[in-house]
Amino acid sequence: MPSEVDRDTALAQEEAHVQIDTVAWVTRYVGGSGSDRIGSALARAPAATARTALRRLSQRLPQLRRALRDPASGELGEHIEVVVNGAILGVRHGLDSELKDGDRILLFGQYMGG
Amino acid sequence: METSVPGGYAGRILRVDLTNDRIWTQPLSPQDYRQYLGGGRIGAKILYEEVPPDVQWDHPENRLILATGPLAGLPVWGTGGLTVVTRGAMTNGATSTQANGFFGANLKYSGYDAIVFQGQANRWVYLYIKDDTVELRDAAQLLGKDTWEMQDTLNTEHGLSGHQMSVYGIGPAGENLVRFAVIAGDYGHVASKNGCGAVMGKKQVKAVCIVRGSRGLRAADARGLYQAADDIAYDLKTDPSTRSLYEYGTLPGVVNLLGLGALPIKNYTTNEKPEGTDMSLWEAPALRNGFDHRGHQCSACGMHHCHMQVLPSGPHQGKIVDEPEYEGWSGAGWAIGLTDRVAASWLNTQIDRAGVDVNEFGWLIGWVMECMEKGYITKAQLGGLEVRWGDAEAANQLLQLIAQRQHLGDLLAEGVKRASERLGGHAADCAIYTMKGATPRGHDHRARWEEMLDTCTGSTGTLESGAAVKPQEMGLPARINPFDPDAVAKLVGSLQGRRHFEDSLGACIFTTRTTIENLCCALNAATGWDYTLGEALRFGRRTSALLRAFNIRCGIGPELEKPSKRYGSVPVDGPAAGIAIEPHWEHMLDVWYETVRYDRKTGLPKPALLRELGLEHLIPELWGEEVPSRAV
Repeated sequence: MPSEVDRDTALAQEEAHVQIDTVAWVTRYVGGSGSDRIGSALARAPAATARTALRRLSQRLPQLRRALRDPASGELGEHIEVVVNGAILGVRHGLDSELKDGDRILLFGQYMGG
Repeated sequence: METSVPGGYAGRILRVDLTNDRIWTQPLSPQDYRQYLGGGRIGAKILYEEVPPDVQWDHPENRLILATGPLAGLPVWGTGGLTVVTRGAMTNGATSTQANGFFGANLKYSGYDAIVFQGQANRWVYLYIKDDTVELRDAAQLLGKDTWEMQDTLNTEHGLSGHQMSVYGIGPAGENLVRFAVIAGDYGHVASKNGCGAVMGKKQVKAVCIVRGSRGLRAADARGLYQAADDIAYDLKTDPSTRSLYEYGTLPGVVNLLGLGALPIKNYTTNEKPEGTDMSLWEAPALRNGFDHRGHQCSACGMHHCHMQVLPSGPHQGKIVDEPEYEGWSGAGWAIGLTDRVAASWLNTQIDRAGVDVNEFGWLIGWVMECMEKGYITKAQLGGLEVRWGDAEAANQLLQLIAQRQHLGDLLAEGVKRASERLGGHAADCAIYTMKGATPRGHDHRARWEEMLDTCTGSTGTLESGAAVKPQEMGLPARINPFDPDAVAKLVGSLQGRRHFEDSLGACIFTTRTTIENLCCALNAATGWDYTLGEALRFGRRTSALLRAFNIRCGIGPELEKPSKRYGSVPVDGPAAGIAIEPHWEHMLDVWYETVRYDRKTGLPKPALLRELGLEHLIPELWGEEVPSRAV
């Protein structure tokens, strides 16, 4: 049975979609090796936002869900950085800004200093 | 009054008067240990009490404190390091800067919790420690040697190798009083900030050499300590953030910070990678596995962090170097337009060997490269040297000129702030520094507002609060909008104290990326105390307040809390393009001051805060008889 992500990817070829890429370390949380890039195209639901898109993507990916979510508040936690269309959240987009067809979300690991 | 030494401590501080060739030990009471812990806090106390305002960084009576903490030498990960506290050469103010390796563990096993240097030797010396044998020995044979050659020489002289002996000292840069000279040791570990190596050089101390001592260390609750150590290790291995740190150290930083617009590229002139750069080569596994490598762990550490590597190609093929930390890839690489990994790795170790701060090196050489490209600095001024973006060999030639203070290297040895101010004109506008003179860390802080604010307001010569670690534990949000001035300033102010607590434990900032509760469990098991999260933070804020008071007493006040023109400029491209911090700066300072409860006008901790922190004895000296109503 295809996963929701697979189904979304198939649908996205015909419908409006958003692209979510995980790079480098974060690919570990979507079944990758911790390097390179793994992309998922999600069919864009009406009024989709970065928050709802990430929630959908992580529904079947428990490690990603754990890494994304602050367990206390249920909000986006500190472990993963989110970039929308090449800009950090807070520059041109917020977590609740509506996504447009073809928008790209990039996920990478938290800055650790040093 | 209790008389026994708490678990985790050796029980004595080693005092060394270089002027009078006198060495003695100073015991501390259990109450003192509980109040001061170790590391940065014990250093701050000595600095404040023993270095009056007229004792500048290069005065013989300046103190140079190399301190460990209660966890050093115990089986908790990353507990071999030291914290260096002094009045530093870059800001001429307080310094608290940390390095790891084996120094702290070896010192404790010899029976000392800290070393305090005062005075100035009349010849070059090194301090030799082996249990009760503590001697100032002639260092003539070490002069001119870089930090790795120095360790090789001392290992050979003493017939020791590996971790049987820890050597921390200065390279040629420290000998020649380069303002951003470091104290480096154990092949690749560096206490880098605020010119602490210049202070050591001024005292004519080339190195401290500690043979692994024979004394045991006691933990009050050995079983509890192992449990706490295990809990910390488990957290580091499984937490979504620290998992990458556990496996690859700080290597993931290059790709992550590029994505954030916080990787400094070519002296802040761009935030986009050069066309054709394959970033997959800069991911952590590729950075590690692109070289033949071996683990080079610190004392009692299970992290897969520090490594040595062999250069696989290029003019220095076959050389063994230290695997660069993220900030090595940044300062010896991207900041100067160098994206050849092998060349950057080689240059990074050259920098450590010469004994200068890799961050300041990146800002300085990046500035020279940009100025040459734009014609603000000429080839003639550099003694005929051509220095173009990404030229590792030319950068190394400049490094050697700086370390020897030859030609323009003499001016550059003053650091980028003073060099650019001296040169003036358009060149002055391109330099990255804080007005205090502190060196920013190796990131582009125009996309990390919290770090720019922290660097400019901090009293340690570098970041004082540091990046948020499990902020929810302190009642803070997991995430903020990084460009919300109020949220950023509140976060930086609210985080104040945690890092001072970590630094005073004798533990690495990377292995303390766990809960404060876990750290308190380890501390309590070691010592038999009952430290709580609240007490830990109060302890840290007390340290902040004391260092702040020291700096204000030295004339370093709020008027200097801002970035240079380039440091505070607007990114022209990349993920944070167009975002400007400058219009918000004064407001951010207002919010930060309100949060930390310091007086906005004088910069001083307010009397009520000093009382709460148990520092009321400072009020008469700092505030005089009549406290102004705004500060009450």
